[in-house]
Amino acid sequence: MPIKSYKKYISLLTFVAPAFVLYAIFLLIPTLGGMFYSFTDWNGLNTNYEFIGLGNFIEALKEDPDFISSIFFTLKYVLFMVVLQNVFALLLAVFIESRAKSKGFFRTIFFMPNMISTIISAFMWTFVFAQVLPQLAEKTALTFLDQSWIGDPQVSFYSILIVSLWNGVGYMMIIYLAGLQGVPQSLKEAAVIDGATAFQTFRNVTLPMITHAITICFFLTLNGAFKVFEVVYGLTGGGPGRSTQVITMNIYEEAFSNNFRYGYASAKSVILFVIILIFTLIQIRVMKKREVEA
Amino acid sequence: MSQKKSTSLLITVLLSTLAAVSFFPIYLAVINSFKTQGEMFRSFVALPSKIHFSNYVDAFRQIQLLHSTLNSIIISVVGIGGIVFCAALAGYKLSRTSGRLSSIIFFLFIASMLVPFHSIMIPLTRMAKALSVQGSTYGLAIIYIGLGVNMAIFLYHGFVKSIPRELEEAAQIDGCNEFQTFFKIIFPLLVPITVTIAILDFLWIWNDFLLPLLMLTDVDNYTLILSTNTLFGEYNKEWSLILAALVLTAIPVIIIYSFFQKFIMHGIAEGAIKG
Repeated sequence: MPIKSYKKYISLLTFVAPAFVLYAIFLLIPTLGGMFYSFTDWNGLNTNYEFIGLGNFIEALKEDPDFISSIFFTLKYVLFMVVLQNVFALLLAVFIESRAKSKGFFRTIFFMPNMISTIISAFMWTFVFAQVLPQLAEKTALTFLDQSWIGDPQVSFYSILIVSLWNGVGYMMIIYLAGLQGVPQSLKEAAVIDGATAFQTFRNVTLPMITHAITICFFLTLNGAFKVFEVVYGLTGGGPGRSTQVITMNIYEEAFSNNFRYGYASAKSVILFVIILIFTLIQIRVMKKREVEA
Repeated sequence: MSQKKSTSLLITVLLSTLAAVSFFPIYLAVINSFKTQGEMFRSFVALPSKIHFSNYVDAFRQIQLLHSTLNSIIISVVGIGGIVFCAALAGYKLSRTSGRLSSIIFFLFIASMLVPFHSIMIPLTRMAKALSVQGSTYGLAIIYIGLGVNMAIFLYHGFVKSIPRELEEAAQIDGCNEFQTFFKIIFPLLVPITVTIAILDFLWIWNDFLLPLLMLTDVDNYTLILSTNTLFGEYNKEWSLILAALVLTAIPVIIIYSFFQKFIMHGIAEGAIKG
């Protein structure tokens, strides 16, 4: 018996080894390494480092107004994104699903932006915001288009949202469409026969049947929104000043373009990880509960 | 009945308007990339009076289109190939083996899916430097394997459960060893989920920006996205040139999209619902 179980382990390890070795080198060790360095004063210029306990965390949360404001900016962005992305995606999915002939056409059009890399989308929209819209405002009566779309942080928050939504809604729409296709036609017909309006049918039959898709999409949008980087990098670069800086960009600057304070930047990374973890766990817990009830 | 018809018409109008708005930036990028700078500033919305290819010739040269596309292809193909190979082996075995060790390894893979890339980018850059995989396309591809196997293992692990064990037992009776059984019997049966994984990973690797930005230092190794990013930084007022580069960068994915649309959408839905 011991020989057999020994063989079983060997076989397990040989199959798992290629994946595990690369995973350990490039994901597991860096994860643990980042946590380790977050307690040190390690920087890129010096090879020696010392343990400074929670020093980095205290500095980040107490003495770094740029980091704090990047957290609040990101939270605001996350809130808008989670709500708007899901509302738009679900509405589009419901409307498209109700079309008979044009279903495929609309699906293709709305999903297409998702194929284009986020950073390329941001560049494309920079052209629209900086050049096209001001000219359109000048030539037509659409004066509201003449905004400082990228220069004014109040407005550029919405520019960032627009590009993120343009780029991301299609993905969620596909998941919602798949969810909607799983709703049995007979249930909807039964509701209609019982005299339910279209909205009532949606509210009481369709929505409960797609809670699983809703949970997934909320998870994906929540996670993705906290990690936003490319859109902001391509559109405003975090500016003007640092007014549109998100957490990831603050970490990136701290580590790679400012002082090379790796230890300090690692502490900020750990804070980001913890924030995402807390929000994700709460979201999954709350929504799973509702899923069971439904 | 007429109310139902008018609602339907309203939805069509709404969808069409949104579709037009959604398509507008792509339309603008394409038409203006065929104009001269002067004509462009007269009107961005009008169609070009005469089609100029000169922007494309310039952009083609500036972003070293063939070279950087080749780099992107190498990184994607090696990365996806590696992920599929490593993850199929591991996912299959972890799914078939019971016991504590197997569960612990599986848990380690799954838990890591929650780690945001930005939390590991600093140590990862150091690690890549130490192993001297930084700066090379193949090195970058190997990093993608390390970062991508967790999700692929998760998907394979779930899929393998639907394959009856009798197949393996029969193969073993016929004299196959474990690896032969895997490659001859199991792997071909994994094709549906392999397609899903390949698509999700292709979209991720091809369109990725930050990891290549951190890893690739030499212009000769730049991916398509990185080359375009550099161009955008250097010629930030020459919009006709930039737009041509953006269109050239988007063309490969649009081609792939038009051929594999069904698979891509299926892959996304499948990947999400399993998750």
